[in-house]
Amino acid sequence: MGFANGLKRLFSLRLTSRPVLPFTVFFKKFRSILERNNLILELMADMGDKLGGEYIFDIQYIKDVAAKISEQVFKLISDLCVMTREDIAELFAAFERIQFEIGEELAGRRAVLMQRSLEREQKRGKKGLFRFLSALLGRGDSGNLAPFVILLEDLDGDFEEQAGNKFANLGEIRNTLGLSTLDGFVVTTNAFFDFMEANGLFEILERTLKGLDQADEGALEALSATMRKRILSGTMPREVVSAIDRALDIICGRNPGRGCFFAVRSSGWGEDGEFSFAGQYESVLNVSRATIVEAWREVTASVYTVEALRYRLHRGYRESETAMAVGCQLMVEAEVSGAMYTYAPIASEQEAMVISGAWGLGAAVASGIAESDTIFVDRMPPHRILSIEPGRKTTKMIGKQGGGTVWADVPAEFQEKICLSDDYIERLARTAVAIEKYYRRPQDVEWAFDGEANLYILQARPLNVRPDHPERHMVTIDNAALSSRVIFSGRGQVVQGGVGSGKVYVTRSDEDLKDFPFGAVLVARYTSPKYSRIMRKARAILTDIGSATGHMATLAREYRVPTVVDTGIASRVLKTGDEVTLDAIANVVYAGTVKELNSFEITHEEVFEESREYRLLKRVLKKVTPLNLVDPASESFRAARCRTYHDITRVVHEKAVESLIELSEGYQSRHAGRSRRLEFSIPLGLTVIDIGKGTSSAPGAESLRLEEVESAPLKALLEGLTESGMWETAPVAVDLGSFMSSLTRTFSGSMAGPEQVGRNLAVVSDNYMNLHLRLGYHFNIVDAYIGEELNDNYIYFRFLGGVSNIERRSRRARLIACVMESFDFRVEIHGDLIVGRLKKLSGRRMVGRMKVIGGLIGYTRQLDVNMTGDEMIDFYCADFLERIQVLEEVREDAPMCELPTADPDFDSG
Amino acid sequence: MPPCANCQRQTQILILDDEPIVCKRLKPGFQKAGYGVETFTDSGLAMARIEQKRFDVVITDLKMEGIDGMQFLVRVKQIYPDTGVIVITGYGGAEIAKESFKKGAFDFIAKPFKLGEIIEAVKRFEKSRKKD
Repeated sequence: MGFANGLKRLFSLRLTSRPVLPFTVFFKKFRSILERNNLILELMADMGDKLGGEYIFDIQYIKDVAAKISEQVFKLISDLCVMTREDIAELFAAFERIQFEIGEELAGRRAVLMQRSLEREQKRGKKGLFRFLSALLGRGDSGNLAPFVILLEDLDGDFEEQAGNKFANLGEIRNTLGLSTLDGFVVTTNAFFDFMEANGLFEILERTLKGLDQADEGALEALSATMRKRILSGTMPREVVSAIDRALDIICGRNPGRGCFFAVRSSGWGEDGEFSFAGQYESVLNVSRATIVEAWREVTASVYTVEALRYRLHRGYRESETAMAVGCQLMVEAEVSGAMYTYAPIASEQEAMVISGAWGLGAAVASGIAESDTIFVDRMPPHRILSIEPGRKTTKMIGKQGGGTVWADVPAEFQEKICLSDDYIERLARTAVAIEKYYRRPQDVEWAFDGEANLYILQARPLNVRPDHPERHMVTIDNAALSSRVIFSGRGQVVQGGVGSGKVYVTRSDEDLKDFPFGAVLVARYTSPKYSRIMRKARAILTDIGSATGHMATLAREYRVPTVVDTGIASRVLKTGDEVTLDAIANVVYAGTVKELNSFEITHEEVFEESREYRLLKRVLKKVTPLNLVDPASESFRAARCRTYHDITRVVHEKAVESLIELSEGYQSRHAGRSRRLEFSIPLGLTVIDIGKGTSSAPGAESLRLEEVESAPLKALLEGLTESGMWETAPVAVDLGSFMSSLTRTFSGSMAGPEQVGRNLAVVSDNYMNLHLRLGYHFNIVDAYIGEELNDNYIYFRFLGGVSNIERRSRRARLIACVMESFDFRVEIHGDLIVGRLKKLSGRRMVGRMKVIGGLIGYTRQLDVNMTGDEMIDFYCADFLERIQVLEEVREDAPMCELPTADPDFDSG
Repeated sequence: MPPCANCQRQTQILILDDEPIVCKRLKPGFQKAGYGVETFTDSGLAMARIEQKRFDVVITDLKMEGIDGMQFLVRVKQIYPDTGVIVITGYGGAEIAKESFKKGAFDFIAKPFKLGEIIEAVKRFEKSRKKD
């Protein structure tokens, strides 16, 4: 046989005979996929938990867990490879891409370096890689401007390398905290590198510094002069100029009312960070469009003043660690502007913030040239004014027509007038505290009000204040912890660490969220993503029920709101109006405001969220947990679109289920003896495959009756469906719009519509069942073993899908969780996906629980359209729990949590 | 005057871990719970420190450059048999745990752990010491 023949055979083998795997092998792989799927979800939850601040972990943990999860995802795809004949090369490609990105993060190579390689590859003409990397990096409009320019709306704290600290922070203040900033963009450090390289400046710097005697001031001055001169006359690479031009078009185009003039400011690596470099670099105000590049050169030249060079030399900063990004923002016609410290550097017991303000542009205040008003304000809301010292403000800085700035006289009647109204002062105080709360450090905030009472944040940087007497501080901490009354502690899970004080606001429905007061502590029965609306106002969040891995947890971390979920009692114990302090690091709720905890929080050495470990884990998680492929019916639900491990996991699971169902159909025709359709009063469209003593129908029979089902779990589930009567009385839709959309929405692909029952499958033996049930748009998986040996028994229940919006689906998820928890299931919710697990109960109890699941499947069939508000969760949960009492097993067997612990089923492990 | 009113009664803890993040996170956690804390990322320096000062509790990592945690544990118990040593490690095998206990460790905690867990361990040690 020739080689070609062999190849042909191999091909035909691949195309036609692949599915004829022994069913047991096939099914074993399928179960392995299920198990691995769970393991991966657990690892993801585990990693997410670590961001909460309750855990102590190091880099080694991140490396270990990343390796572990990568291995599991790889094996998951390999398992699928055995099951399906579909081409899974794309899945492996997606896996490799993600694994590579994680590896780069772990090796400390950040996106900026990828940007650099992107640009190099582009020059070399490697189009493929260029497109790949651009797709990776492209965000918003900035995608077209990268790598030299990024618009402010696309920035956040992760962009420090490209945008420098100042503008990365400003982006975060705008985009995460939702505060007003002036429209603009940043010219990235990539532009800096290219400019420096193109003009041979790094070479000069390197050469000169090598032989430099640090004490030789003359040599340093000469170096400074050379560098500055060359920068001011240097040629800007054409690509950078055109990127800046395009950014200017965007900014000026969307702000037609304003003149197109800019404030151009430095945003260097490390500036405003550990070394503040405060005031060392230049800013240029009121720059016209035509002179932007010139202003850029001026700011960049300020990197090489003698002072800046010396400052870096003395602190051991290497020049390779120096890079300058330059921010360009529209000018504000400031009526008043100034600076604000959230922690006043005064020797006093009183905790105060201090505002300095003057008429006109802010440079006057910052540089201390002109006199300003000084206002001390209480740090605690409602931010009472403690004292005002008016300054005699005779001149102010204003923008000059056509560019530049000029000093103007202040009219006599305004010179002694306080430049800020009480309302302005309060707004400033709130805003500054919001920034401080987020960064967990006292802040130095530059701000401006325009003539229309709009407040703009110009920049914010950490203020390095330490208490004068750390020992005294320690005592107060010590005493505070002893003297404050603890309301409860150690309950539930910390989602986001930190300390927050305020008045409790207990929310009962969607409606009352509108009235959520600024600076309050949110207390709710459940976690919900809709609280994102008030996260910027909340000082802390406590819920009775909920998981640390849900949507809300992600949001709480994003906004850094101290949050504890699953306390069990918060909404019962705390009343609206109570003043409390949550220490979400020690997980304690204190009565009243514990000032000492608040100040300890913002003065102790390390902010967890700013640590290398936190940021690395967060970046790694970005490649692991977000689920982008949510709808199997959509076009984008494809292997090639997988951007995270979660996406891969989801696609693999979906494909595995599909091929199992397909196989069962084929199997049916080939093994008529052991695969039958269930004849049942409820149209489940269920095919049952018996792999061992699971049924007792006559050999050769095509159908199966309920009495012939011998499999304990399947029998219990089916009986639960009928006996509970939940199917027939499924709640009627009350919300017509949503119901109509559930009827008219079109589906394609694997997502079966309600008319398409008939692709359901159960694989059973006497004690075992693996059930896949699509009903309407809901998708249930139940995997269970129920036998005599208590230790072998388990039920695994997975519920997903639905047709209404995500809020309603999540509510339904929480209803299901509520019911399952009442019956001792350990429940995890990920958005609208619920996983419930129950282990090691006696066979009798397991049968009862399985009947409840039967009832629940019937009950929730169309329920999500009814879930119009959070109050519906408790309502329907109570309704179900009452109606399920119709089952004998439920009446006789109270859930374990109400039984004495001497119960034989009690399992502490 | 002593720098703080209750310093005499304050339990003194030394923390040794070559990963700075562990020290940085544990220190404020213990301070807030009312303990006196000194942290070290260099085992040599920690060794020198215990020769000078007696600590009630020592928390140490195992795998480190130079003097490793096991050696450190042995030396601490040699000088101060009453000091409680808590071992924290990312390589939490049963064998290593057994060895630590044999050498006199009070507790063995696998990384990563919750701040509450380790404070709890210290409290358990304080209680056990009171009983004696």
